[in-house]
Amino acid sequence: MTGPRRSCIVATASALILFFASVSVRGDSQVVVRTFIKSTCIDCHQGEDAEAGLDLAQLAWKLETPGIRLRWIQIHDRIENGEMPPDADDLPDRDRQSLLSALSVAIHAADHAEVQVHGRGPMRRLNRGEYENNLADLLKMPKLDIRDKLPEDREGYHFNKTTEMLDISYLQLGAYLDAADSALRQAIASGTQPRQLIRYYALATKMFSPPTTYGGREAMFFAKNSTLLPLSGAELSKIRQKGNHDKDVELALFRSASWPFYGYPHGFICRSAGKYRVRFSARAVRQVRDFRLKPSPTPLPLTFRARAPSGPDVSGDVRSVGGVMDIQSAEAEYSTTVLLAKGQTFEYSLLGLPVPFPITSHGGPLYYDFPPMPAGGHPGIAFRWIEIVGPIDSEQWPPSSHRALFGDLPIRDSKNADGGLAIEVVSNQPAKDVSRLFRQFANRAARRPVPKSAFEIYEQLIFDQLDQGASFAEAMIAGYKAFLCSRHFLYLREPKQTTDHYAIAERLSHFLWNSRPDAPSLKYAREGNLRSATVIREETDRLIASPQFDRFVENFTDYWLNLKELRRDEPDIRLYPEYRLDDYLIESTLMETRAFFTAMVRENLPALVLVDADFAFVNDRLARHYDLPLVIGSAVRKVSLPKSSPYGGLIIQASILKVTGNGTTTSPVIRGAWIMDRIMGDPPPPPPAKVPAVEPDIRGAKTIRDLLALHTRSESCTGCHARFDPVGLALENFDIMGAWRDRYRSLASGEKITGIDRSGHQYVYYVAQPVQPEGRLLDGTTFQDIHELKSILASQPRKLARNLLHQFTTYATGTPVRFSDRPVIEAILDQCESAEFRTADLLHGLIGSRIFLGEPGLHVEPEK
Amino acid sequence: MTTSIRKSKSSSTIDRRSFIRGAGVCLLLPHLECMTPVFARDKTERQPRRMLLISNNLGVLPKPFFPDTSGADYKLSPYLEELKAFRNDFTVFSGLSHPAVVGGHSTENCFLTAAKGPTKSGFRNQISLDQFAAEALGQQTRFPTLNLGVNIDKAKRSLSWTRDGALLPAEDSAAALFQKMFVQGSKRDIDRRLRELKLRGSILDAVSADTRKLGKRLSAPDRNRLDQYFTSIRELEQRLHIAGEWEHRPKPSATREPPTDINDKSRFFDKFQLMLSMAQLALQSDSTRLVTLMVDAFATPVFHVNENTKSINGYHNLSHHGQVPAKVQQLETVDRRQMRLIGELLANLANHQTRGKRLLDNTAVLYGSNMGDANTHDNRNLPILLAGGGFKHGQHLAFSGDDNAPLSNLFVSMLQWLGVEADAFGSSTGKLAGLEFVA
Repeated sequence: MTGPRRSCIVATASALILFFASVSVRGDSQVVVRTFIKSTCIDCHQGEDAEAGLDLAQLAWKLETPGIRLRWIQIHDRIENGEMPPDADDLPDRDRQSLLSALSVAIHAADHAEVQVHGRGPMRRLNRGEYENNLADLLKMPKLDIRDKLPEDREGYHFNKTTEMLDISYLQLGAYLDAADSALRQAIASGTQPRQLIRYYALATKMFSPPTTYGGREAMFFAKNSTLLPLSGAELSKIRQKGNHDKDVELALFRSASWPFYGYPHGFICRSAGKYRVRFSARAVRQVRDFRLKPSPTPLPLTFRARAPSGPDVSGDVRSVGGVMDIQSAEAEYSTTVLLAKGQTFEYSLLGLPVPFPITSHGGPLYYDFPPMPAGGHPGIAFRWIEIVGPIDSEQWPPSSHRALFGDLPIRDSKNADGGLAIEVVSNQPAKDVSRLFRQFANRAARRPVPKSAFEIYEQLIFDQLDQGASFAEAMIAGYKAFLCSRHFLYLREPKQTTDHYAIAERLSHFLWNSRPDAPSLKYAREGNLRSATVIREETDRLIASPQFDRFVENFTDYWLNLKELRRDEPDIRLYPEYRLDDYLIESTLMETRAFFTAMVRENLPALVLVDADFAFVNDRLARHYDLPLVIGSAVRKVSLPKSSPYGGLIIQASILKVTGNGTTTSPVIRGAWIMDRIMGDPPPPPPAKVPAVEPDIRGAKTIRDLLALHTRSESCTGCHARFDPVGLALENFDIMGAWRDRYRSLASGEKITGIDRSGHQYVYYVAQPVQPEGRLLDGTTFQDIHELKSILASQPRKLARNLLHQFTTYATGTPVRFSDRPVIEAILDQCESAEFRTADLLHGLIGSRIFLGEPGLHVEPEK
Repeated sequence: MTTSIRKSKSSSTIDRRSFIRGAGVCLLLPHLECMTPVFARDKTERQPRRMLLISNNLGVLPKPFFPDTSGADYKLSPYLEELKAFRNDFTVFSGLSHPAVVGGHSTENCFLTAAKGPTKSGFRNQISLDQFAAEALGQQTRFPTLNLGVNIDKAKRSLSWTRDGALLPAEDSAAALFQKMFVQGSKRDIDRRLRELKLRGSILDAVSADTRKLGKRLSAPDRNRLDQYFTSIRELEQRLHIAGEWEHRPKPSATREPPTDINDKSRFFDKFQLMLSMAQLALQSDSTRLVTLMVDAFATPVFHVNENTKSINGYHNLSHHGQVPAKVQQLETVDRRQMRLIGELLANLANHQTRGKRLLDNTAVLYGSNMGDANTHDNRNLPILLAGGGFKHGQHLAFSGDDNAPLSNLFVSMLQWLGVEADAFGSSTGKLAGLEFVA
């Protein structure tokens, strides 16, 4: 189905709706629909043997019943798409239009009537990410980490925000209680004073805990005057014992932090969880012959990995902390902060460097060797000293998280030492303080004023706790915790009254920030201003421009594009030795797509950049990966692409090409279906049961095209596969990581290639059959390669834009586009057409529509 | 169970908590029946199902472990000869592993969790099989699970992990376990736990009172969502109530003398044997139905291979045998002795019968390792054995050695047998093909 066709039909439908009262139209519609069905459809769709189990004679005309309405919608859509009747000549175009109008008008009326009574969808539970963000913002603890205490949410229509999937069970409720308890206790002051700062300082000879590392001296050594300072383990211990470190010595490191490795400051361990400031002096170097250092021509990216100091074998969490720093070739001081849990330390993680490889001959003893030296030497970093200071508490005390709970009430040391709070909150008028603090908290937590009767229930709980001898703080925690598991906090509401601007504020903030609205938004809600077109537009722009918008980009692309599964499959090192343990590449691809999508919104780019663009976001690693002119540094930045480059456009980004492959092979079936579903908005129907998937042959004997020929030979397959296989074929020129290829690799046949990868492993693979990217789309259009396919897809901007609107709608409202929403979507598209369907325009259009703001005039009795 | 808000409102004339207590008698019967030997129970009830999950973090030599032939008429491998008497009570698997769980010994904490990439940035462990089952089944016994260890490095290693990736330490003192299971706790401890439960109950009371206020004013779709929420409050209250009941109930009496701890790490096999007997005691007394046992071979120094011989190296160094014949030979001795211990365990579980049924038939015993071949740090082709429980045994289920099937599929099968309604766990793609329940 092409864009203009549907819009034309819907435009007719909308026009009709304007002219007819719904009741009379429904009566007339049924006559029209039944007449056409009798003449065209009933032969196949009747009785027990009806095709697809659809007995049209028995299908009631009860459009007010959601289940039955859904069947009629499916019938409408299959006729509209030209899939039914199978022989198009059975329903001449004019008749088709009449039938579709009749169906459309009646379904729309019924669907819209339901929306007008109940709203578009029910209230929606916060998912676990939203629960964490709400608490983080409410308690003013930006680094709060409790998400994993909650069970994972189910997904619907790709998103974890779909109302019907966000059930709740006792397990979830219990987990919410635990998570709330944990967050509240973290929020409270850890003592009457900020914690004492501890300073750790190490010169190079103390900076690396073990005396040596896997991979031997070539992987790590100490240097003085840029030449090797050979130190045995015993000599090193002696220096450490006596503390006579030499400030002219450098620690030079040349490997990545992949297992097995442990390289963290000697003797440092975090005794009290929190933020630590790290300063160090370092320079990027190259190790040349005989352990000499020379300045590196390019900077080298470094990050830290927080984890328990458990030696080479990792136990528990591993987190990247401190961000990525590009270490320059001139020695300089760097500074960052790292977040550490109690008992953790952090190790030096040099990005993009090789991993020493294990050698066993005939199962013999295992040792680790370092790869051969590349031209120009081994890249690495030489450190001179490091300083760690922390835990850094808030300068204001008690911290703002504590004040969010207890305001300015004084605190003193707790007498209760057994595992409880470290402080006591002093209240001289508990009755007054309880109400004042609780109401303040609850109104903020609920993102709207809470009815008085609800306050009383929770306040009673707090007073009961006080009566039973609980301390003031513990009693308040009980009340707060209860409220954080109440419907006020846990559920987002559909805007069901024209006067309810709070529902709009929270919908907008959960859409664009994945969290609660901030004070300015709530102020607009209080003043009843969010239905003003100017105000909502400005609010939207403000949210988009703020740093919290990153949460939207991350969460939306994680689900829409499935980037959360980016690391699901390891690249198969038998076929792709160049990708062995290259986490830096994978991390870079994620940065690229997020930067790209952020730009789509913030720079208001046209929807067609999804499939074609003359620019890309790359860093040093990606520029090499995409065979572009080199750039320096780890940060992704916008570069324009040469005309000849096949890249440009979201669907040809490495992250997408990776997540649509399986690490070993790619399949045009999967990639094609993925793009039709998530980018073009044309999801293929589920494959029939018991048909095995087409598996690419990595022995190299057959190409995927040979195997796919099966689809075109079988009539039952070809109907669907012709819709998406061809799109995937053009992407066959990109390997499992998105690099260009002209020929497939195989393990058995073709031209043999041998070599040693960047980690020193020997490899053998074969370059086999050529890629044949040409194809023919369902409508007969042919293309030779990716360039031509891109142009074809880019010629359907309305379709691309419509899909974006559908994705935004499900994500923002929890309810996918309903039948009665379709004219609204088309109207937004009409508005955005002249400016090429720009992304922020689409967002504004949706947010200003009744889909987002709620039905005008709707009024469900509010709670007193 | 579904509860509508309106229905419960009609009962709000009586005190809510007493209503739940009253209703509890009938509502909770299925849970209470499990409290034997504390309570008497109906003899026709289904007997409770249990799991014992054991891992040795260095595994065994692959060659003598895996049988050469597969299927029901497979030929026992040299190691499995040690379990000959139970041939029809176990299934041996080959070609299983956890996808993307690589990184040598760092995988040991992922054996029951299947969490990918244990050495990569961003790694956080996930919920383990025992905890997953305990969550779903609710507290049917005094301890939802018990985690045991042999020579364990307590701060770093355990088979049992929470949902948010926190380690649940394993107990390596048999005496402490015995105390926990059979000796009454102090009144102070019991009171503290009861207070915590009561507070939680009060919190839920408040939340549910607040929820009921809204019932009438909602549209039908909203009411459905809220009904579900309300039901979850009620179910959580019931579970708290059961937990409270357990605190009041006396502990079972022990059937043996309190054990004496063995502190000497070199007496590896004695310690292993003692812990297996504690596991057995825990299951027999129905103190818990889910036991994990991590055998920390990695942390085991030079140890007694048998009465006269000590190991050439510590267990870890020994496992990197490098094909040195003396080391390989010694590992074989060690592995065989371990297999015999498992055999003894199976014999004990088979000998313990309740109402004509062997404890073994109600207990799925998993024995395995995160190491396929410790010599080369290989985390694929893990040695896995499942005994007992309601499975059709007596076969070697072989999966592809090049393209392993997910071990989590076996876990899904085990969960389903246990009565957990789960169709997915960890990196599963479904149940394990070829492993069937006894009808």
